[in-house]
Amino acid sequence: MSLPKRIIKETERLVAEPVPGINAVPHDDNLRYFDVTIHGPAQSPYEGGIFRLELFLPEDYPMTPPKIRFLTKIYHPNIDKLGRICLDVLKGNWSPALQIRTILLSIQALLGAPNPDDPLANDVAQRWKEDEPAAIQTARDWTRTHAMV
Amino acid sequence: MHQSPHDWAKGSTTHTANTDDVVMEKLLALGEYSGEIGSDGFYDARAIVRLTQCLVCSLPLQHPRTLPCGNSICLRCLPQFYPRQNISYPGLPSRQDGFQCPFPECQKEHSVADCTLDVTLSKVMEIFERELGSCQSEEMPVEVKEILDPELSDFESDGGECGERKWTVDGGRLVAIYTLIKRGELYYDTDVTCVSLASDHRDSAVLDREVLQTLKAKITSEVECQVCYGLFLDPITTYCGHTFCRKCLERVLDHSRDCPACRRRLHLPNVLPAQSSNKRLTELLVSLCSEALAHRATVVAIEEMAGSDDDDLTTPLFVCTASYPGMPTPLHIFEPRYRLMIRRVCENGTRRFGMLLPNRSGQLQGELGAAPFMQYGTMLQIEGANMYPDGRSDIWTVGVSRFRVKRWGIRDDYIVSDIERVEDIPILEEEALEALETSLRIQMSSQDLLPPWTRLSTQSLLQIGHNFVDQMQAISAPWLHENNILAFGQRPDDPAMFPYWLASVLPVAENEKYRLLVCTSVRERLKMVVGWIKKIESHRWFCSATCAIV
Repeated sequence: MSLPKRIIKETERLVAEPVPGINAVPHDDNLRYFDVTIHGPAQSPYEGGIFRLELFLPEDYPMTPPKIRFLTKIYHPNIDKLGRICLDVLKGNWSPALQIRTILLSIQALLGAPNPDDPLANDVAQRWKEDEPAAIQTARDWTRTHAMV
Repeated sequence: MHQSPHDWAKGSTTHTANTDDVVMEKLLALGEYSGEIGSDGFYDARAIVRLTQCLVCSLPLQHPRTLPCGNSICLRCLPQFYPRQNISYPGLPSRQDGFQCPFPECQKEHSVADCTLDVTLSKVMEIFERELGSCQSEEMPVEVKEILDPELSDFESDGGECGERKWTVDGGRLVAIYTLIKRGELYYDTDVTCVSLASDHRDSAVLDREVLQTLKAKITSEVECQVCYGLFLDPITTYCGHTFCRKCLERVLDHSRDCPACRRRLHLPNVLPAQSSNKRLTELLVSLCSEALAHRATVVAIEEMAGSDDDDLTTPLFVCTASYPGMPTPLHIFEPRYRLMIRRVCENGTRRFGMLLPNRSGQLQGELGAAPFMQYGTMLQIEGANMYPDGRSDIWTVGVSRFRVKRWGIRDDYIVSDIERVEDIPILEEEALEALETSLRIQMSSQDLLPPWTRLSTQSLLQIGHNFVDQMQAISAPWLHENNILAFGQRPDDPAMFPYWLASVLPVAENEKYRLLVCTSVRERLKMVVGWIKKIESHRWFCSATCAIV
């Protein structure tokens, strides 16, 4: 099946006007499947890390949101062991006027502002609330171990 | 309301020459658009600048509002508001003020809440102002002369005083006319002649064409739908002021009731045929982006007719239940993908789609391999539909014929396919089959494995079926409840149809229903049915009138 014009245009624009710290490249054999990297934001425990994600545009995109998952291990209250992300715009708050670019920016912002009150990884969120400095240190350690290669 | 008064431009044929005739023809065949003004800034200057004018004040649209009737108007030109009477629902404070639509073809009452700033039109007006309004060049003077309405001028010519008004303005035709409009000199309907006073007439034409090119390029980048990233195709402006293609908005409404741009609740029906297009934006698109628009309309039309680049996959499929030829299948449509599918088959006029059973046990389906559906299905024709305000619908369908899926793919999340009609074997073969089977007892030993009733004549098999139904009716079997009879009709006498009817009313297991669907011989179908009956009857030795599921 051919690719909708919207996906072609979005991909072209991602290449033509890249977002600093974010990289998304479609697979040659499946233009709906993107390899994504996001640089950990400065002044966050993820600074210096480069996180790999996979992004897939479902058949009825942009009516439904892209499916995104972290491939790199990350210690974050809103990201679980399988790399799934708890982010409103990836679920009920999705709108077809959003796009790959805005979604990746939201994920980058989520790294800079973890929200332990709306957790996906319960153990991480609890630790974040009980002993934030220690949690941040663990996040930093994980970044060093898994996201700096 | 506007009667295209730019007759002065007649005779100039250059402005349509660059449109691809083939594309245009297809576009016109779609019946969507029919204009082609505005290709040349030199000849069409008046018509192009008219696109900015408010129909009420004749000035360039300022803070434009697009009303629910699709007309646009300046904020300051909205008529006096008054409190709307006798309205308690939804009773929102913002909806309490209204006004009477000033456009003669509408004149209805609009709620002030439904008339917010038209974001796209506002941006387009800013582009006009930037490109035509601030040109300070003192070159290319143009003499603009008003053309008086012939009837009016005849009437007033007696006085002799009322002469034509004329002005000399710099900057080429487009800029000159726009300047006059900003000064309030030209009414919306006023036509003018323009004569270049520049020393070189050709330079003036070149300038106008250049200005128009820039204008077109800037506007084209602004009139893009945020859902499909294409040029607006039949733009609809929501009451919150955001514009989308009609079809894009319909698809959005399949999934959410909120505006994609601002998330405000859209109080719109799921299907929008009654919703007015944004008239001014449509005029702008037709005038200034005609080629791109024609191309886009053609691409969309082709995509909708077929499964995008895969032309053979023309039959949409609904994976749900077993349907049979001649039998009704009522369906409740709620999934977004099927809402879209049903809408498309209604719009393209076929009103047909294929119904298939899901392949629950993952059996291989012939050349399709492990398809998510069973390979044989029934083509359904939509007979009637009842739409709910939230976009769900109930549809009534009747089975037309059986088919086999040859190839399939996914389009916008539903399945599309290339199918082949499945027919019963010819009567001659049917007869031969009966003759062979009914005469078997003579040729074969009595030790064969098949039960004796398989050797009965086709009519006798039907009779067994009929007798069974009559018996069941006598004991008021629940599956013969009058509601079922109302839906599926009385027991048919046609041997070809009787098994389909029985399988529709009798609670039969899905795989049995499917076996019946695949079967291409009337006799074989009747044998299948008698098989069920024999099984039920054997059960009934133990449990009397209850309904057994085969």
